Amino acid sequence: MCEKKSDLTTNPSHFENQNKTKDTPTHMDLQWNDYKDKIKGFKFFDPHIHMVSRTTDDYQNMAQAGIVAVIEPAFWVGQPRTGLSSFKDYYSSLVGWERFRSSQFGIKHYCTIGLNSREANNERLAEEVMEILPLYIYKEGVVGVGEIGFDDQTELEEKYYRLQLELAKEAKLPVQIHTPHRDKKRGTERSMSIAIEHGLDPSWVIVDHNNEETVKSVLDQGFYAAFTIYPFTKMGNKRMVSIVEQYGAERIMINSSADWGISDPLAIPKTAALMVNRGIPHDVIRKVTYENAIEAFAKSGQIQVSDFESSTPSDPNEKFHGNSVLRGGQLPKWNQNSLYID
Amino acid sequence: MPTSYSSYFYPLLKKHTTESEIKWLDSIPKDNPNALMTAFVKAPRFLSKTIIQEDVEDQNLIPNLPGFQVNHWNLVRLSRVWFLGFLVTLSKDELIEKIETLFDTAELNELVALFSSLPILPYPQVWLPRATDAVRSNMGFVFDAIALHNPFPYQEFPELAWNQLVLKTIFNEKPIQMIYGLSERKNQNLSISLISFVKERWSAGREVPANVWQLLVPYLSEGELYLVETLFKSRREEDVLAASLICSQSELNSYQLLGTKHPKFLEEIKNGKWDWSKLGNNH
Repeated sequence: MCEKKSDLTTNPSHFENQNKTKDTPTHMDLQWNDYKDKIKGFKFFDPHIHMVSRTTDDYQNMAQAGIVAVIEPAFWVGQPRTGLSSFKDYYSSLVGWERFRSSQFGIKHYCTIGLNSREANNERLAEEVMEILPLYIYKEGVVGVGEIGFDDQTELEEKYYRLQLELAKEAKLPVQIHTPHRDKKRGTERSMSIAIEHGLDPSWVIVDHNNEETVKSVLDQGFYAAFTIYPFTKMGNKRMVSIVEQYGAERIMINSSADWGISDPLAIPKTAALMVNRGIPHDVIRKVTYENAIEAFAKSGQIQVSDFESSTPSDPNEKFHGNSVLRGGQLPKWNQNSLYID
Repeated sequence: MPTSYSSYFYPLLKKHTTESEIKWLDSIPKDNPNALMTAFVKAPRFLSKTIIQEDVEDQNLIPNLPGFQVNHWNLVRLSRVWFLGFLVTLSKDELIEKIETLFDTAELNELVALFSSLPILPYPQVWLPRATDAVRSNMGFVFDAIALHNPFPYQEFPELAWNQLVLKTIFNEKPIQMIYGLSERKNQNLSISLISFVKERWSAGREVPANVWQLLVPYLSEGELYLVETLFKSRREEDVLAASLICSQSELNSYQLLGTKHPKFLEEIKNGKWDWSKLGNNH
C-alpha cells in the first residue's frame, strides 16, 4: 500500500539530484528548430544508449539529428530477470532484432555484452549467465564487455566484475564500466584499481557516468572517461561544456544512456549545439561526440567506419542482386508532420 | 550416413579468398564439432565480405539439390554454410543439439547462414518448425534467407506454410519470382487468399504487383472476370500486360473473349515477347 506521496514516485535509473534542479539552458529545453542549424554537417556516435527501451520515433529523430551509429550495452531492464532464458533472449535481441530495427533507420548498431552489476547479486543466475557469455562476446558487432562494474558495491558484484574482466582480456575486447550512482567516487576508484590489478590496459577501458569528482583520476590513469547527459542527473550540458573547457577532448566522450527512464536519445546532438553556442571549436566537439568513441571501441576490431560514414549501407547482406529490396518490411521514413498516413 | 556437401563449396571458397583467408579456413579441424561451431561464430573476424559472383545465374551448385545456389552470398555466409556441412557426420541427436544451440544464440548474419544451410542438412522435418518460424520474422534478411532462392520451403513446407510464405513475400514487397518453385506449387487455397488480397488492396486505393496474377490464372472463374476487366483499366502498363497474359492463358471462353477486346499486347504475347518473368518487381 502506498501511504505517502513519496511512495508513489519512481527512482530514476541515473538519479543524483534530489531537488531536480536544472542547469539552464538544458538540452531538454531545446526543440529541433532551435538547434538543427547549429549541428549541420556533424555526424554523431552514441556509445551508450539502450534502444531496447526506446521507440521507432526515437530512431527517426536520431537519424534526422545526425546520429549514424550507436552502442547498446547490455543492462538491467528495470525488473530483475528470473531465469537464464530471459538473459539469452535479451542478448539475442541485442545482436538480432535491435540490430535489424536500427538498420531500418540507417543507424549502425553495435553492442557490448555482459552481466550487469545489479543482477550480479543473484548468484544462482549469475553463474548460469557466465556460462553463456562466451557464446555472445565473440559475435560480429560486439564491441566490448559491458556494462559491468558496481552498483551496491557488494562482494558478489566484485566477483562477477573480476570474472568478466578476465573474459574481456581473453576475447581481446574493450571494457565498458558502469560506475555506481551512490558512493560514486569510491566505486569508480575501486573499478579502476581492480581493472589494473587484472592487467588490463587502461586505454582498453571506458569508465562511464563520470562527473567533476571522478574525471581527473580517470584521465590521469589513462582510462577513457565517458559522460552521461541525463536529465536531473550526473551531468547537465553546461557542466559538460565546462569539463571539456577544463580537460580538453582527449579520451573524453559523451553519451545519452537513454533508457526506460526520463531520458533523451538526442542528448548528444543537443549538447553539441550547446557547445557550438559556447564557442567550443568544431574539432573538439567532433572528438567528444564521435571520434573518441570510435577510437576506443574500434579496438575490438568490430567497427568499420565505412559502414556508417557513407549514407549507403556497405554490408553486402543489405544488397541483393544490386538492389536494396531486402531492407525489410516497412519504409520507416514517412513524414510525421503530415496529417495523412498513406 | 548423411551426405556432406561441403566439397562442392571448396573450389568457390578458394576462388574468392585471399591467401590468409583460405589458410584460416583450412586450419579449422573439420572433425571437431566445437571448433566448427566456434569458427562459424568467429568467421567475420578472419574473412572479408567479398561477394560470391558466378557467371551462370541459375546454375545448380550441387547436382542433386536443384534450386540451391550461393550466387550473391558473401564469403562469410558461404564459409559458415561450408562449416555446417561438416557437422552432418555426427549422430542425429548430436547434430540437432549443435544446430539448435547455434540457432538459439545466433545474431542476424548467423541466422541468415543457418537458414541458408537447411537444404544441405539431413532430417529436414526437424528444421521445419524453425523454417516456418523464419517466415514470420520481421527481420528482412532472415525472411529473405528462407523465402528467396532457397529450395527448402518448396521441398518441405506443407501447403498452409507455403501459402503464408508467398503471401508474406508479397506483403513485404519482395520479388516473388525469387521464390524457388513458385509456379509448381500454385494451388486453389493460395488463389482464394490472393483474390481477397487484391480486393483489399484495391479498396484501400493501393496496387498489387502485376506478377502476382500468374498464381491465379488456373483458378479464376466467371465470378472474377470483373477483376480482370478492372485490371485492363489500370493506368499501369504492367497491369494491362498482366490482364492480357491472364486472358491468353485462361481456358475459359469469357476470359479469351475479354482478351480480344484488349488486343494491345496479344500479338507480342503470342510471339513470346512477353511472359510473367518480364513482370518482376525486381527493380
